Amino acid sequence: MKFYSRPLRLTAQSVFLGLFLLTVLQATYPFQPWLPPELFLWLDPLASFSTMIADRFFTPVLLLSLLVLLSPLVFGRAFCGWVCPLGTVIDLCDRFIAPHTVISLRRYRPIKSILLVIFILLAILGIQLAWLLDPLPILWRTIGVPGMALFFLIIDTLMSGLGAVGIFPTLFTRLQDQLAGYLFPVARPAFGGLFLPVLIFGIIIGLSKVSRRFWCRTLCPLGALLGLVAKFSPWQRTVDAERCTSCAICQRGCKMEAIEPDIMTTEKSECILCQNCAHECPTDAIWFSFQAPGRMRSPVDLSRRAFIGSGLGALAATGFLAINRPDPHRSDRLIRPPGAIPENDFNARCLRCGECVRICATSGKCLQHAIGYGGLESILTPLAQFRRGYCEMNCNLCGQICPTKAIRPLALPDKQKTKMGLALFIKDRCIPYRLNQNCMVCEEHCPVADKAIQTEKRIYHDASTGLARVVDYPFVIPELCIGCGICENKCPLSGEAGIIVVREGEERLPT
Amino acid sequence: MDRRQFLKTSALLTGGALLPKSSIVRAQAKAHNLVLVKNGQPAEMVSKALDLLGGIQRFVATGEVVLLKPNISWDRAPEYAATTNPELVAEMVRQCRNAGAKKVIVLDNPCNDARRSYASSRIPEYAEKAGAEVKFMRENQYVETPIPNGTKLKSWLFHQDALTADKIIYLPILKHHRLSGATIGFKNVMGLIGGNRGRIHFPFAENIVDLNRRIVPVLTVVDAIRVLKRNGPGGGNLHDVEQMNTVVAGIDRVLVDAWGARIFGHDPYTYDWLKLAHAQGLGEIDTEKRPPFIFDFKA
Repeated sequence: MKFYSRPLRLTAQSVFLGLFLLTVLQATYPFQPWLPPELFLWLDPLASFSTMIADRFFTPVLLLSLLVLLSPLVFGRAFCGWVCPLGTVIDLCDRFIAPHTVISLRRYRPIKSILLVIFILLAILGIQLAWLLDPLPILWRTIGVPGMALFFLIIDTLMSGLGAVGIFPTLFTRLQDQLAGYLFPVARPAFGGLFLPVLIFGIIIGLSKVSRRFWCRTLCPLGALLGLVAKFSPWQRTVDAERCTSCAICQRGCKMEAIEPDIMTTEKSECILCQNCAHECPTDAIWFSFQAPGRMRSPVDLSRRAFIGSGLGALAATGFLAINRPDPHRSDRLIRPPGAIPENDFNARCLRCGECVRICATSGKCLQHAIGYGGLESILTPLAQFRRGYCEMNCNLCGQICPTKAIRPLALPDKQKTKMGLALFIKDRCIPYRLNQNCMVCEEHCPVADKAIQTEKRIYHDASTGLARVVDYPFVIPELCIGCGICENKCPLSGEAGIIVVREGEERLPT
Repeated sequence: MDRRQFLKTSALLTGGALLPKSSIVRAQAKAHNLVLVKNGQPAEMVSKALDLLGGIQRFVATGEVVLLKPNISWDRAPEYAATTNPELVAEMVRQCRNAGAKKVIVLDNPCNDARRSYASSRIPEYAEKAGAEVKFMRENQYVETPIPNGTKLKSWLFHQDALTADKIIYLPILKHHRLSGATIGFKNVMGLIGGNRGRIHFPFAENIVDLNRRIVPVLTVVDAIRVLKRNGPGGGNLHDVEQMNTVVAGIDRVLVDAWGARIFGHDPYTYDWLKLAHAQGLGEIDTEKRPPFIFDFKA
């Protein structure tokens, strides 16, 4: 085992990171996944249970996460060391940025447990804040949204760059078009609302500058949750006291700082079963095996004071959210994806994983992470922003892909009837009203078969020329408008359009 | 006026069917400049139209790069008549390949998502099978290009292939469009340009004519097989689609569009952009003066 543990673990980490990237890659139009893009989020017990508790609902598929939640009863925190794709990314980055020696963070360990308690208490109070620090939504939204955009930018620039300097120009254009059939959208994706997701991810990686696996040791609430269960794990590190020379190579090398100063004992809620200690032990005194339950040792690392502190923290967060008032102007423009459940449920259930944003970028390109639209409770939730894109009439992919069904999956004919909002003309901007000229770009694009935008012909007498002309003045038929936003998107004005979609009349589906 | 125009058109269309067979045979000997073919399968109508125009060799020479510009603007299935008939496009590709074209490019700049529109139109599968290279238009492939003698537009972003192709053939579908009356050949140029295309809409007539000064198709083949009569150009309701089984093809692009307008049921003189194109010397608008040669498969 000793000789194979390291290559085995590296293989497992690569495979799971690969599967994770595959789920991201598959979240695209045309949507023919053979691995559900939601898989890793379904498997995430923190995400699953905090949304289910916060929004008081139950979906069988989220019980998949029990697999991960209960896995420490056998294998300890092996999920963190062998499976978690964010852990793998951190391991990869640590090679380049972390100091060689492991710095002691022992006293900061309880932070993650405090965060976990806060998240659970908040969930009980109906607020789901796990998205902020849950590793799987964090990685999904970082790789899925800015990561993919950056990837496409690099590939696209490389291909067109090589083409432009005359290196197989046709080949690269052909290749781009071939890839566009599956991997690539035709236009390079670009997004708003990237600041916060990138910042959170950047801080997580950057913290490794202090010490290896900083995030996993001190902050990750999912790690804390699994660590709690891992205290009962029978699979653990064992030291042969006779062979051990107390050289402490294992203790100094442990990236999780899970080996206690006596070298013999292991803090099971910290150990991620990487088995580097067994690998590096010069006298082969360390191995991993199942131990009799009697030898379990599980000090609770959260003091009563810390527990009360986290309770107060949760209350403070609730209070802060309660006194925060969103900008009413912008709340009116917080257009949700078609099939979204009522606002409060939506905010409680949305994991901010970015799956809908990612898949929308390969279709209508309207969904963005919301920042500054609703209150703090809606930060990073998907927002349909129609100056950036619009909702494609024949697309229902955001609902197909939402892991917690905050966006309900709708059959295409139902989705095409679901009102996201209502289009209104701003007559002081709109060209026909302001300049008395024909335009009709919005009417042309309206995808409703009977046209939710109609025009009224009126004769305009131009005082400057003395001539009269017939102008088509557009208006919206509210009963027909589905608020898809293509009118706002295609309006030829720069900046604010002459027609905007507001939330009035938006349809929310029952949870 | 409208009704009279319609009756005249109908008389002309059906009149063609009454022509004696011999006159058709005689007519085939010389090349026509404007033909109207009806009541055949899409491919055979195109092939017949080209025969009557004197064969594809009249327009495409061996070794040339030909750009075919169908309408793939919307994410709609072919039966909604918002995009050009895929069999018609495929036949044009075959014809160009048979004429020895080095490369036949098919592309459009759709209003809906490009991949969705391409897939729904079924044009890529038909055209590729026939030997075309179907391409997406990318942002970095547009070139700011001066428009000589542009009255309103002095320059615009054109797709590089539209500028470098040896020959351009327009394959528009005839359909309703509120701003322009009907979208036919002239408006087809919208799919070869980039930039803020909505800006072309005001003033539409001047701008669309200017764009057509820079891009000059050697031939326009209008798909009037299924015609979207209302709620164009995107459509979406089969009740708005009328089966007309007609293909109009010609060299004079103003005249082709004028005939398109007539088939659609409009008086070409009510289209200000067409009148402007005529006034600027781009072609003939008077359909009375220039009737097409008519071929009816059912006759």
